Amino acid sequence: MTSQIQTIIDPPEDGHFRNGLATNGSTPSPTTLSLHLTINGRDHALDVEPRVTLLDALRERLHLTGTKKGCDQGQCGACTVHVDGERVLACLTLAAQVEGRSITTIEGLANEDGTLNAVQAAFLEQDAFQCGYCTPGQIMSAVACIREGHAGSDEEIREYMAGNLCRCGAYPNIVAAVRQAAQELRS
Amino acid sequence: MTVHDMKHAASDSARLEAVGGRLSRVDGPAKITGAAHYAFEQQLEGLTHAVLVGATIAAGKVTAIDTRAAETAPGVLAVLTPETIMELKTASDWFGNRPSDGPYSPLVREVTFSGQHVAAVVAETFEQAVAAAALVKVWYDEMPAIVDLSDGKAGDGMPIDAMTKEWGDAQSAFAAAPVRICAAYNTPREFQAAMEPHGLIARWQGDELTVWEPSQWLDGMARTYAEWFDIPFENVRLISPYIGGGFGSKALALAHSAVAAAAARMLERPVKLVLSRPQNFTSYGGRAATRQTVAIGADRNGRIQSIVHRGVNETAVDGMWVEPLGSVTSIMYATPNFSSKQNVVRVNTVVPGAKRAPGENPSAFGIECAIDELAYELGLDPLEMRLINYAEQDPHAKKAWSTRQLREAFAAGAEAFGWAKRSPQPRSMREGRQLIGWGVAAGTYPVRRAYGEAVVKIMANGSVEVESSSIDMGQGTYTILAQTAAETLGVPVENVLVKLGDSHFARAGVTGGSRLAGVMTGAVHKATGQALDELIGLGLSDPRSPFHGLQANTLQVRNGRIASPRGEGPELSIAELMSAVGRERIEAKGDTLPASTTPEERYANYTTIAKSIPHTEGDYSRHSWCAHFVEVRVDEDFGTVRVSRVVSALDSGRLYNPKLAESQWKGGIIMGIGQALLEEGIVDRRHGRIVNGNFADYMLPTNADIPDIQTISVGIPDPHSSALGGKGVGELGIVGVAPAIANAVFHATGKRVRDLPITLEKLI
Repeated sequence: MTSQIQTIIDPPEDGHFRNGLATNGSTPSPTTLSLHLTINGRDHALDVEPRVTLLDALRERLHLTGTKKGCDQGQCGACTVHVDGERVLACLTLAAQVEGRSITTIEGLANEDGTLNAVQAAFLEQDAFQCGYCTPGQIMSAVACIREGHAGSDEEIREYMAGNLCRCGAYPNIVAAVRQAAQELRS
Repeated sequence: MTVHDMKHAASDSARLEAVGGRLSRVDGPAKITGAAHYAFEQQLEGLTHAVLVGATIAAGKVTAIDTRAAETAPGVLAVLTPETIMELKTASDWFGNRPSDGPYSPLVREVTFSGQHVAAVVAETFEQAVAAAALVKVWYDEMPAIVDLSDGKAGDGMPIDAMTKEWGDAQSAFAAAPVRICAAYNTPREFQAAMEPHGLIARWQGDELTVWEPSQWLDGMARTYAEWFDIPFENVRLISPYIGGGFGSKALALAHSAVAAAAARMLERPVKLVLSRPQNFTSYGGRAATRQTVAIGADRNGRIQSIVHRGVNETAVDGMWVEPLGSVTSIMYATPNFSSKQNVVRVNTVVPGAKRAPGENPSAFGIECAIDELAYELGLDPLEMRLINYAEQDPHAKKAWSTRQLREAFAAGAEAFGWAKRSPQPRSMREGRQLIGWGVAAGTYPVRRAYGEAVVKIMANGSVEVESSSIDMGQGTYTILAQTAAETLGVPVENVLVKLGDSHFARAGVTGGSRLAGVMTGAVHKATGQALDELIGLGLSDPRSPFHGLQANTLQVRNGRIASPRGEGPELSIAELMSAVGRERIEAKGDTLPASTTPEERYANYTTIAKSIPHTEGDYSRHSWCAHFVEVRVDEDFGTVRVSRVVSALDSGRLYNPKLAESQWKGGIIMGIGQALLEEGIVDRRHGRIVNGNFADYMLPTNADIPDIQTISVGIPDPHSSALGGKGVGELGIVGVAPAIANAVFHATGKRVRDLPITLEKLI
C-alpha cells in the first residue's frame, strides 16, 4: 500500500502527473481508487478519486458526519481525528494516505455499550461547548492531548489545545473538562 | 426533528431541572458523540454539489464568462451564469418592505464588491465541482473601487436622521464646561466567523421546496425563499436542527442560498452548496467598520455637563446597514445635554450585517473609553467617575429603568477583582518586564421583546413534547424550554422532548438581539399552562376519571403524578389518567400575541422584525447591564498584550439556567478579547479584497489567548422584561470588553490606543 501512495503523491520527474491525473489538458480525468479504510474498528470499502480528502470521504461517502468541516484548510481543528492514535487533521489528509491504518472518529470514541469516554463525559459536565460544531475536534484533540502527556497544568492544556478554535468561546470550560478527564484517567 | 436522551443523577434532579437550575445541555450527548446532524449533513439520494465563482474585482462589469472548459469537465451537470440562471423575484427586506417587483439574480453582471458571486458550477461530487469552478474564465471591465472608510473617495457619507438623539444644548454646554475631552475611536471590519460555514441543501418536490440550512430565523428565511420563487409560504420548509454558531450572521437567506435553490430547481435534483472558508468572509457581511468622536464636558467634580457624539459606519454600494453608534452613548450616563448623529458611507463591500451586539458593541467602545479618559483628566478613579454620573433613569427616554443592577455589578466586580488595590498612575504596576494594567468598563444591551408561540403535547404515555420553529445555536434553547415545560406541568425533565428547527412547527421570530429565551420561555410557559388546565379539567370532569366525583376544585401534578391538593382520593400517573379517560394526547398551542391579532399581523410578526416591541414601551426602559474588570500584561519591549484576568458582573435579570448563561457570557467576553486585540478584516487597497479571509490570518482568540474568566450574576427577576423575569444574555457579555481592555492597556503603558485592534505596533 505504501508504494501505491508514493506513486500518487510524489510528483513525476517531468512535473506532469499521469496515472489518470494528467495535467496536459484542461479536463483531467481522474482515476478511481478502491480503498479499504479501518474506521472505528470497522472496515469500509469505497471507490474515490485520489484527490478526495479523509474528511470528505468520512462526511460525504461514509456518512460519518461527526467529524466537522470548519475551514478545509488545516486552520481550525474541527476535523481532528485519530490515525493510529495520533491526532490528525482530516482535511489535510487524503483518504488514500490512511489505508491500512487505524482511524478513530468521534463516533467511535464511546464504548460499544454507549459508555462515554471520560473526555466526553467531562465536556458535558463542564459545559465545554455551546453550538457543538468544534466539539468533536476538541474532544478528539483532548483525548490525544492527555495521552501525549500534555495535560499536566492549565497552561499546558491551553497551549496544546490551541489548535482547535472555538468561536462560541468555551475555552475556560474546555480547559476545565480536559483537566477533569486527565485527573480521572490518571487515578 | 431531534431527539435528545436525557440522563442525569436523580438525587438532585429536582433542583437541577427547575427553571433556574444548572441542568446540563439536553442536546449535549448528541453533540459530544457526533450524533447531532447539522443542517447540511443530511444524506439525500441523488445529491449534487455546487461551488461558487467569485468576482476578482471590487467594482465594474462582467464582460464575458467562458464556461466551455468547465462544462466539459468530468461530472459537471451545469455551469450557471447571470445569463443562464433562472430568474427570481426580488424578495422583501427583514422589515417586510419589498423594494421592487423586479427580477433578482444572485449571480451578477454588475460587480460591487470583491468575491461577489458571478457563476456557479454544479457537479456530481464536491471535488468535481471545485475543479470545474477553477476552469470558469471571467473577463471584467474594472472600475475604481472605494475600498474602505479611509479611502479618499469615500467622502462623509449620508446622514441617517433616525439615529439623531438630542436634548438640551450639547454644543454650548460642552464649550462652557471647565473640563473637556474629545477623541476619535475606530473599530475595524470584523467577522462573525462561526465555526460552521454557511451553506445549505435545497430540494424541490414539485412546487415544494425543502431547505436544510443553518438558520437563526426559519420563518423569515422561508418567507424569502417563497418570495424569490413566487410560491406560497407554506410550500417552503426550512430545517435547521442544530446551528454551528451564528452570532448574527445566519438570520437571512442570502445570495448563495438563492443560487443553490435555483440550481436545484433547474436540475430537478437536490443541491448542496457550502461556502468555502474564504467565501465566508465575502458572501455576507460582518460588523461594519466604524468611526466615532466623543466629546465630553464635565464640571471639576466630574459631573458630566454635555456629551457630543458623532458616528460613521461603512455600508455597501448596493445595500444599507446602520450600526447604531449612539445606542450606549445616550443611556449609560446622566447628562443634561446630549447630541448624537450618525452618517453611513458607501464602500465596495458586501452589505455589512449583524454581529453580536450590533450598535451597542462599538458604541460602548467609544463612550467607555472616553469616560476613562475623562477620569484621568480629572484625577478620578475610573470606577468612581462612573458612579458619580450614574444614570438613575433612562436619560434619553426619560423613563424609569425596569431593573438596573449596574451599581451592584460595579460593587461585586470590584470586590472580586480587588480593584481597591489598584495603583492609579499609569505604568505604576509591573512584574519584571511586564507592565500590568487594570481597566474597567460597563456594558448594556436592550431587552428586545417580541411575541411568540409554542405547541405543547401531553402524550398518552405521559411524555411531553414541545414544538417550536425557534432554534438552538448553542444558547441552550432545547434545555431551557425543557426546564420550562417540566416545571410548569410538574413532570421530570427527562419526560420532556423539545423539537426545534423545523419551519413546519409553531411559528417563531428571529433568534437575535438576545430575545429568544424571554420570548420562548413565555410562550412555552403559556402553552404548557393551557395543556395542564385541560389535563386537570379532564381529570375533574370526565366521568371516566378516577377523580370524577371527588368534588375537588383542582388537581395537582408533581413529578408526573396527579392527585388532589388535599391528598384525598387516588394518585395517578399522567399516563394512567390519559388511559382512563381514553385520550391519545392533549395538545395546546400557546401564543403571547394580543387576542385581536389578524392572520396578516401574525404572519408579519414571525416573518419580519417589524412587530418587535420597543424596549421603552410603556412606563419602563428595559436593558441588561454589566461591568467588566480586566487585567492585562504588556511586554515592555515587544508591546505584546495578554489578558491575564477577567472578572465580569452581569445583570441579565433572572437566569433560566445559570450554567448555560455563564457559558454564553464567557463566550461574549472571549469574542470581546478577540475584538480588542486580534480581529481586523484587512483590505487590499489595490483591489478592494479582504486579504486575511481565513482562520490563519483573521485571528480569532485561541485557547492559549484566554485566561480564567469569573462571571458573577447580579440580576434580579425583571417582570417588565419577560414572563419569567429574564433579560438578555447572549449579546451582553461582549459589550464593554474592548474598552475595558483598552483602558487597562492605558493603565499599563500610559498609551491610549483608540483604534482597534490593539496590536503591538501601536504600543512600541
